Amino acid sequence: MDSLNGHKKEGYLSDFVNGFLSIFKGMGVTFVNLVVRPKITVLYPYQRLNVAPRYRGLFWLKWNEEKQRLNCVGCTLCAQACPTNVISMNKLGKGNHAGVDEFDMDLGRCMFCNLCIEACPFDAIYMGPTYELASYERNSSVFHIQVLAQGGAEAVRINNETIKAALAAEAEKKPAAAVHTAKEG
Amino acid sequence: MITDTTSRNTMTVNFGPQHPSTHGVLRLIVDIDGEIVRSCRPEIGYLHRGLEKMFESRSYRHNIPFTDRLDYLCSLANNLAICQAIERVGNVEVPERAKYLRVLMVELNRIASHLVFLGTFATDLGATTVFLYAFRERELLLDLLEAMTGARLTYNWIRVGGMPADIPEGYGERVIAFLNQMRPRLDENDRLLTHNRIFRARCEGIGVLKREDAIAWGATGPVARGSGVNLDIRKAAPYEIYDRLDFEVPVFDEGDVMARYKVRIEEMRQSARIVEQVLKTMPEGDIQTKLPKIFKPPAGEAYSRIESPRGELSFYLISDGTPNPVRIHIRAPSFIHLSLLQFMAKDIKVADMIAVAGSLDPVMGEVDR
Repeated sequence: MDSLNGHKKEGYLSDFVNGFLSIFKGMGVTFVNLVVRPKITVLYPYQRLNVAPRYRGLFWLKWNEEKQRLNCVGCTLCAQACPTNVISMNKLGKGNHAGVDEFDMDLGRCMFCNLCIEACPFDAIYMGPTYELASYERNSSVFHIQVLAQGGAEAVRINNETIKAALAAEAEKKPAAAVHTAKEG
Repeated sequence: MITDTTSRNTMTVNFGPQHPSTHGVLRLIVDIDGEIVRSCRPEIGYLHRGLEKMFESRSYRHNIPFTDRLDYLCSLANNLAICQAIERVGNVEVPERAKYLRVLMVELNRIASHLVFLGTFATDLGATTVFLYAFRERELLLDLLEAMTGARLTYNWIRVGGMPADIPEGYGERVIAFLNQMRPRLDENDRLLTHNRIFRARCEGIGVLKREDAIAWGATGPVARGSGVNLDIRKAAPYEIYDRLDFEVPVFDEGDVMARYKVRIEEMRQSARIVEQVLKTMPEGDIQTKLPKIFKPPAGEAYSRIESPRGELSFYLISDGTPNPVRIHIRAPSFIHLSLLQFMAKDIKVADMIAVAGSLDPVMGEVDR
């Protein structure tokens, strides 16, 4: 705290001299910053700094390479966790093989608060490092599943096919199982 | 516009709401007599968003990101204050490690907030260089906060019952490296600004707030401590782990603009001390208490107060057992400090009025809510 108090007021002349010296002390600081310290600014659109690994930018839906589909099962827990109703989705099918074929996020309302990501129990939704999301039209701030999905529109197509095939296979199995139980009964 | 209300020589002038040195959309209606300010009335409400009403129609967890928009220079302090209120009304225990993490983040955020004060306040008084240096240091700090939370301004990183994630790997070393760099830079700032003859002449003896007035008008934080009131919520009513930490509360008796400036500069050094202690003594363990998906605290009310960079920030919360709160009231320090302007900025020069308003460090997001 003593460093903040500085010199006391003295006689007229010493006050004048000290005041004059204080300006040169300050000039010394600016000189050090001008000459000695490295430049820290970057030319933004041409040079970019990397964002942190946890950076909360544009969302993406995780692709499951093993199952050849998106991790999202359409449980709407993220939509319920959202304070501003950003997320809307269309669930595809029911039960164990359910998925989504539509997943819209209206980022015009989004606060990037991370609550949807914490709410997801299936590791399906994440935030990525993309940050330039401004656009000229309001409609452009709505991001569809084709943009959000990891792998893009092609991934969504495979996702839909996988889920539909799985649902069809399950539908075939079910009557058989029903017959089996009927026999036992 | 010439009014006859006070004197024939007085002119009423609007200062703001779009003036660059009003720190947001603050409008001051100033009666000037030549270069002398005869009276100064703050006019607020330009940033009113009805947040307190919005809280009532959303669940407790949904409300936390909205508090980021109050005091946007120190949004973690707001997160902490509302989470404490919710935890008190819901009897939620917070794990020990989460408490340490909270204090770590809030203190780092306090340094960032005071660096903004330093930069903008110096700019108000014509020292543009300091602005660039202060924001350069703040940039390093924002990188640290971004590494932890993923956001640069509206962090939203404190949850009911804990924290959403632990610190990333190697974070402690990065923070220590930053603090070791920041301390000499603060000393450098003393040479550049604090001991500068012109800066001192602009600050010393200007906008004096007497100790009695500070108490009578409910001033808290650096404004009160600059007037000789030794009040710090971290010491007076310790929350989280502040009772276990060793730090000093800077108090200056002068009550002028310089005293408030000095309090904030010294607080940055004390925050650095706190951060170092927290990193040294942080225990291992859980960071989040398990809570039901739909959080319904029992009926009742709670009051939480914390020391935000601007002063005492309090949340008063009433619950009736439903998922939504019945009422949340925010006691915002900037709002209370703005009312001090009317007699601090009296019979001083116009340029000094800017110094006085800047020394209160108001954030309009918090004033208007």
